[in-house]
Amino acid sequence: MVTYEVLQLIVFPGALFAICLAFLYEWVDRKLFARVQGRYGPLYTGPAGIMQPVADFLKLLSKEDIVPRACDANLFFAVPVMYATLPLATLFMMPIAAPEALIAFDGDLIFILFAFGMMTLIIFLAGWSSASRFSAIGSVRSALQMLSYEIPLGLVLVCPAIAAKSLSVSGIVQWQAANATLGAALQPIGLAVTMVCLLAELELVPFDIPEAETEIVAGWRTEFTGWRLALFRLGRDLEVLLVAALVASLYLGGAQPLWLIPATAMFVVKTAAVVMVFSFVRALFARLRIDQMISGMWKYLLPIAALQVVLVQIGVGV
Amino acid sequence: MGYASTVKMPFGPQHPALKEPEHFLFELDGDTVVGVTPRIGYVHRGIEKALELSTYGHGLYLAERICGICTVAHTCCYTQAIEELMGIEVPPRAKYIRTIMSELERLHSHSLWVGLVAHEAGFDTLFMYAWRDREAILSLFQEITGGRVLHAINTLGGVRRDISPELADKIRCTMEYFEGRVKDYRRIIRTEPTFLKRTRDVGVLKPSDAAKLDAVGPTLRGSGIKEDVRRDDPYIAYDEMPFNVISSDGCDVFARTEVRVEEMMESIGIIRYALDRMPAGVFRVRAPRNAPAGECVSRVEAPRGEDMHFARSDGTAKPERYKVRAPTLANIPALCRMLVGIHVADIPIILAGIDPCFSCMDRMVVVRGGRASGTLQSKRDV
Repeated sequence: MVTYEVLQLIVFPGALFAICLAFLYEWVDRKLFARVQGRYGPLYTGPAGIMQPVADFLKLLSKEDIVPRACDANLFFAVPVMYATLPLATLFMMPIAAPEALIAFDGDLIFILFAFGMMTLIIFLAGWSSASRFSAIGSVRSALQMLSYEIPLGLVLVCPAIAAKSLSVSGIVQWQAANATLGAALQPIGLAVTMVCLLAELELVPFDIPEAETEIVAGWRTEFTGWRLALFRLGRDLEVLLVAALVASLYLGGAQPLWLIPATAMFVVKTAAVVMVFSFVRALFARLRIDQMISGMWKYLLPIAALQVVLVQIGVGV
Repeated sequence: MGYASTVKMPFGPQHPALKEPEHFLFELDGDTVVGVTPRIGYVHRGIEKALELSTYGHGLYLAERICGICTVAHTCCYTQAIEELMGIEVPPRAKYIRTIMSELERLHSHSLWVGLVAHEAGFDTLFMYAWRDREAILSLFQEITGGRVLHAINTLGGVRRDISPELADKIRCTMEYFEGRVKDYRRIIRTEPTFLKRTRDVGVLKPSDAAKLDAVGPTLRGSGIKEDVRRDDPYIAYDEMPFNVISSDGCDVFARTEVRVEEMMESIGIIRYALDRMPAGVFRVRAPRNAPAGECVSRVEAPRGEDMHFARSDGTAKPERYKVRAPTLANIPALCRMLVGIHVADIPIILAGIDPCFSCMDRMVVVRGGRASGTLQSKRDV
């Protein structure tokens, strides 16, 4: 029985499945983004370039590892590992193959919020440890950005929990299944606010301020090369999957079987849809400036998020 | 906070926002730029000296290579100066072909710029669109002249190749397509809220400053001053072309964008008009080998602004002195004015806003006490 559980954690629906899915979604995102822009996107590796993210990952692993002399060596080593493993570990709390996640406890939603905060903290440390001007500016911008989107995000993510009377993601998915409803139908405002905040969390256009290419090179990632950069990219892919899984679970019903379609397939379809929305959105906008972003978040998003909480409270009937 | 609290931040010569090496030293007070010192001259190529060492015919190929994007403008300016020195009159058909080429170049340069400015603002989709559509113009260049980037169409005494009626139809066809695309850009830049947020009231250059600091081209017209060499001092066939000089009162990066997009519409109109009324006859006359002694200043409205060439001949087959003033050099003082009092995050978009072509403008480096330091002296024709 223990073997089966270990297998679950390592292969399906655990680490291996998550990594494969993360690479697949990077391909989906790159392909769709390219098609929107009138480009082809990945084309050569595998059918329609589907293996390109894997090939990139392997290529980066084989590249020279450059460590700046002025950097904080220990942190510089630890940060990429943390960045890749944290979203992977958090993904275990997402219901993927069944409405019940591998690790589910009452309060894992709070843990996920904490993990998002930690991701930004790791980014900050990454920029800080590399002792480069561009990285420092990037990490400061990243931290500033977190200050503005974390509170609205925290507020709206509580709403499904209030409705389902459960602080567990699995619990919320099961509540949606039991009541044959979707979070998106009950809380459309919440869904919209979540999507905007998560765009900022993922540092996608219009919130790609911490890694604005034309301003600060690659931002906090500037000094990382070789396997470190590979791990950062993997971590980013996993984070995209995590974010998509969160939206799918809280608002789209998550991993619950529909008629003959198994839960995993439903999960893949829903998360892919969320990833595609992200790709579309990032093709549509220009990058905002950090002050415009922060004031926008506090002036508009926060009141809307608060409104959603009030509406949910009224709906539940205090 | 006093003066001592400022931080000096170098920008360039290697920086992702700069496509060419140039250095700006910014003085920052927090996130605000309080001072900027440009240091130019990194790509000094000795073109003026090379021009003085080559015959008039060879010099044409050098003039062609001053700038990759304004190649027609520079050869127009060069041929105009040398033809005046030699005292030859270009056939009218050649004038029309030069006009068409100049306007095609403006189209491709402006669409390239729209893409770049969108890229600086993080709007990569518009960047990809603009550069994709620009391919149509580059293919047209290839059909007309055989070269996508360097065209070698202008020659002393006329042009090297004719535009046949079939080719003219092809150009009209491409203009049809391109007009639709330009209208699309116009709609996007006017309505896209994030793009407006990044460009409105960014990089403000007051009309008085623009005039005082000798800004040229769309940078000047974006500050509401209607000055255009094509209208003020018509050359080639511009005196026969109906077109509007576009200007905008916004004085910011958005106004400069708007001016360029509207200019693209005007260029399409000029090309159509010139194609319809192209005079028949020869398109080239023979140019003599030597030019009689004399001096001449030639001005051309390049896509980036006024391009000025000066030639002095001593009666031989080579110019005694040749001087090039590319438009970007004239815009540097205005650029430094725009860069003061802004956010650091706006630096790239303002820099891109003047459509800089640093490699074209670097004419000389003054060596003083063993240390190289670029100066603006070349403007005064040292």
